[in-house]
Amino acid sequence: MKTFYFDGKPYTAEEGDTIASALYRAGVRVFSRSFKYHRPRGLLCAAGKCPNCLVDVDGAANVRACTEQVRDGAIVTHQNASPSLKHDMLSVAGLADWLMPIGFYYKTFTHPAAWKMVEPLIRRAAGIGKVKHPVLNDHDDVIKATRGYRYEHVYLHADKAIIGGGPAGMIEALKAAEEGLDVVLVDDQPELGGNLRFRSDVRDPDGNLLDTDALIEQIDAAPNIRVLSENSCFGIYEGNLLGLLHKTRRGDEHVEQLIKLRAGHVTVATGCFEIPLVFKNNDLPGVMLSTAVQRLVNLHGIKVAESAVVVSPLADGGEVAADLKRAGVEIAAVVHPSEVVAANGRGQVREIQTEEETISCDLIVVCGPMLPEAGLLAQGGGEVVWDAELDSYLPRDLPAGLSAVGDVTGTVFAIQRHTHSSDLLPKELDSRRPKSIVCYCEDVTPKDLCNGIAEGFDHIQTLKRYSTATMGPCQGKMCHLATAAVCSKMNETTLAETGRTTSRPPSPAVSLGALAGRKLHPLKRTPLHRKHEEHNVVWVELSHWERPRYYRIGDKSEKHCVQQEYVNVRERVGLVDVSTLGKLEVKGANAGELLDKVYTNKLSTLRVGRMRYSIICDDTATILDDGTVSRLADDHYFITTTTSNVDFVQQWLDWWKADTGWSVHVTNVTGGFGALNVAGPHAREVLSQLTDCDLNKKAFPYMACREAVVADVPCRLLRIGFTGETGWEIHFPAECGEHLWESIMRAGESFGIRPFGVEAQRTLRLEKMHVIVSADTDATSSPYGADLEFAVKLDKDDFIGKPAMMRLNQAELHEKLIGFEVQSSDVPEEGSMVVHEGLPAGRITSSRHSAVKDKPIGLAWIAAELAQPGRTIEIQSNGHTLKAVLTTEVFYDPDGSRVRA
Amino acid sequence: MSFLLPCPNCGNRSVYEFRFGNEFKPRPSLEEPLDAWTDYSYMKKNEAGVQKEWWFHRSGCRQWFLAVRNTVTNEVFQTFFPEDDPNTNEVAPAG
Repeated sequence: MKTFYFDGKPYTAEEGDTIASALYRAGVRVFSRSFKYHRPRGLLCAAGKCPNCLVDVDGAANVRACTEQVRDGAIVTHQNASPSLKHDMLSVAGLADWLMPIGFYYKTFTHPAAWKMVEPLIRRAAGIGKVKHPVLNDHDDVIKATRGYRYEHVYLHADKAIIGGGPAGMIEALKAAEEGLDVVLVDDQPELGGNLRFRSDVRDPDGNLLDTDALIEQIDAAPNIRVLSENSCFGIYEGNLLGLLHKTRRGDEHVEQLIKLRAGHVTVATGCFEIPLVFKNNDLPGVMLSTAVQRLVNLHGIKVAESAVVVSPLADGGEVAADLKRAGVEIAAVVHPSEVVAANGRGQVREIQTEEETISCDLIVVCGPMLPEAGLLAQGGGEVVWDAELDSYLPRDLPAGLSAVGDVTGTVFAIQRHTHSSDLLPKELDSRRPKSIVCYCEDVTPKDLCNGIAEGFDHIQTLKRYSTATMGPCQGKMCHLATAAVCSKMNETTLAETGRTTSRPPSPAVSLGALAGRKLHPLKRTPLHRKHEEHNVVWVELSHWERPRYYRIGDKSEKHCVQQEYVNVRERVGLVDVSTLGKLEVKGANAGELLDKVYTNKLSTLRVGRMRYSIICDDTATILDDGTVSRLADDHYFITTTTSNVDFVQQWLDWWKADTGWSVHVTNVTGGFGALNVAGPHAREVLSQLTDCDLNKKAFPYMACREAVVADVPCRLLRIGFTGETGWEIHFPAECGEHLWESIMRAGESFGIRPFGVEAQRTLRLEKMHVIVSADTDATSSPYGADLEFAVKLDKDDFIGKPAMMRLNQAELHEKLIGFEVQSSDVPEEGSMVVHEGLPAGRITSSRHSAVKDKPIGLAWIAAELAQPGRTIEIQSNGHTLKAVLTTEVFYDPDGSRVRA
Repeated sequence: MSFLLPCPNCGNRSVYEFRFGNEFKPRPSLEEPLDAWTDYSYMKKNEAGVQKEWWFHRSGCRQWFLAVRNTVTNEVFQTFFPEDDPNTNEVAPAG
């Protein structure tokens, strides 16, 4: 026996109970309040189709109580009623309906100020469930908000998928299994059987009684049928991709699985469903669909009422009347659908009013029209049209790969016992009170629809959008036919001519969490991760890499620590982890040709043992990436790219290689190699202790590369100067990272070596005016504006971007990237605007405090006519105006003597 | 969008495994006038119908290939590596 809580009160549930059935058994009749008028609502369909039993379960809003299995200890609360379901103060909205005619939103709140004022009030008063955590700022918020929830994505494949585990679906599955197909049978109920589960008398088209147990036994025995119970199919997408949603529990966690099922063939066997009739107070708790009553009686063994009136075209009330009698419910009367005028009662049915008389009862059982559940077929490309003869929507013209079996095809042998569509609507459509409801989700009445049509929204599609009928949580399941019927009656057309609104996924609703999937956050770590941790690192996440921002010294501020790291590189020697650099091997006889084609520099003439700074542009001369290209052998180049771009660069190289027939291969070795940069005046002294490689200025000049053994590890040494000091970039097999780090740190100990992070590195490079692609450049930056034309060789044969660059070379630039020194101590924020005579004239892309200049420095894109050295510009940053002087001279070591030392 | 795309290497795969490389456009030669280059760099046919286009099998064999696809129905008629295309003399990515 399970116990759960509804609005704080404990309830017990029996085996197989849903929240709704357990509550109903305990006497609960009101489950929710309606969207707009706050009318009390009770169980209507009990099959997960209507919006009447939406509740909050354990903090998850808008859960259908009638399909949610009871979990022991679950906390269930009502929605959209205050203070309680029984006494909802907002139900006065029902009396103020004249204030809120159809389209009142669009007509009334046309002024932005008015809308701003009224919107929060309306949002509070109208609606359904509330999202618990409306504001999620970062990943941690998401983790907190979804605690106790697990969302997963599952991928499945099948030769054939069958949606619907009723008799037709089961028979189809067995047939397909016999043909040897791999079959997946999807059903939204806890057990197979479809309507056989709750109906007492179902026969096949030949009139034979169907035996559920025998069918289920055969399904269980078939090795090539997978049954997915409690899986609702919410959409069919291109290429027979089905979206399934499966809710379950694992330990303490709610688990929602979004299953993407790809099937060679999809058979829809979703059967049909019953819809309510429109009469006055047709939404009063106690007015229930016959199939809902059968579920409560036959599935859950509930004596649903004392005395029931059955609204049915059959004189004896048909199957449901027999079921009720068996359950001990008195049948007060059977009323023909055309006779019904109103249901009466306050918050609960007390009587039914017919054309002739008033009959007391506590339950009105409506045998409404049966409609095929054809939404998936419409989504899948089929047509769904009204068939007047069968009095139902019928699917037709299904595309290849999609088929339908069973009741959904319209061969509904149950139709006769249910109400004809001509008895769906009341005789007078425009009576105001008591209300009759067409759309349960949005509280739309026939009168609303008539008004909408009178205002000119007379097409079913425009009427839908104007009135919001069919647009609520039930997605038109309950109200579509009635809306179409009003539309056709007012327009004096047939239902076939009126047409249908479009059926779109997802239906039923899918939580955003399920769509988002697992709370995974990709993160990459360098091979030196643990070494950084030993040095009290503060991490920064850049392009999914965890990188050292700086290393903490005691309780000192970040500014202080970064400053120390900076000074150490300039005066002694520092070590920075640059493993995150993209690294590509380009090998093959045509390697040089490929690089000449893609990079702007000439690389086929590069001597072995030398490297060049190079940029990649597209054919509009926009800078895409930069990095170094080293030639290790005639047919072997080693490329570094910016951290976030390596995938792109590899694809770009491969793309331009396609169809050339060239013998060249590009391999991404970013993860295979770690990299450290030893930089500073003592870098050579530190490194020379660990290698036999001649590091002398002559033997190993600036922009040279060597393969050498460092601390017994085969490495690639690149002599570069990103920091502006003598330095080597050491690329090594990733697994040797910690050994190399330790060796270098030991060798550097007597020179005062210290690791430095990204922050110090950025200041060091900015003092050298080294550009960071995608920080200092954007999608409009060319090498000419960015002062990188030294890396463009227009005298080589065609390369990507050459034609555009030849023109740019002649043309006047609009903007230039130029350095600046601020004339005060305020560091302008990156991204700040440059202003000239009150007008925008550029933007800051990088800025830092420079120790060597003892003032803030930076790089900015500035209108070409203003971008002259010595000119003073104004920068607007954080509400202040800062004065800065432009300069093209590199801030630190302008002649590069230190980097070449 | 969830159609299957037959990679010439790997066979039918979900289109989410691929990077789309735009419609196929031959890159002009250096001698061609500015108009041809402007057209190549900035203009797209945006064909509503059958077009030849580039795809890259990102989550698979990581090869670039060409597909002939109806952009309206997403029906894929052919996929092939550029060297197997009988109608191509020159091949170039769309910038």
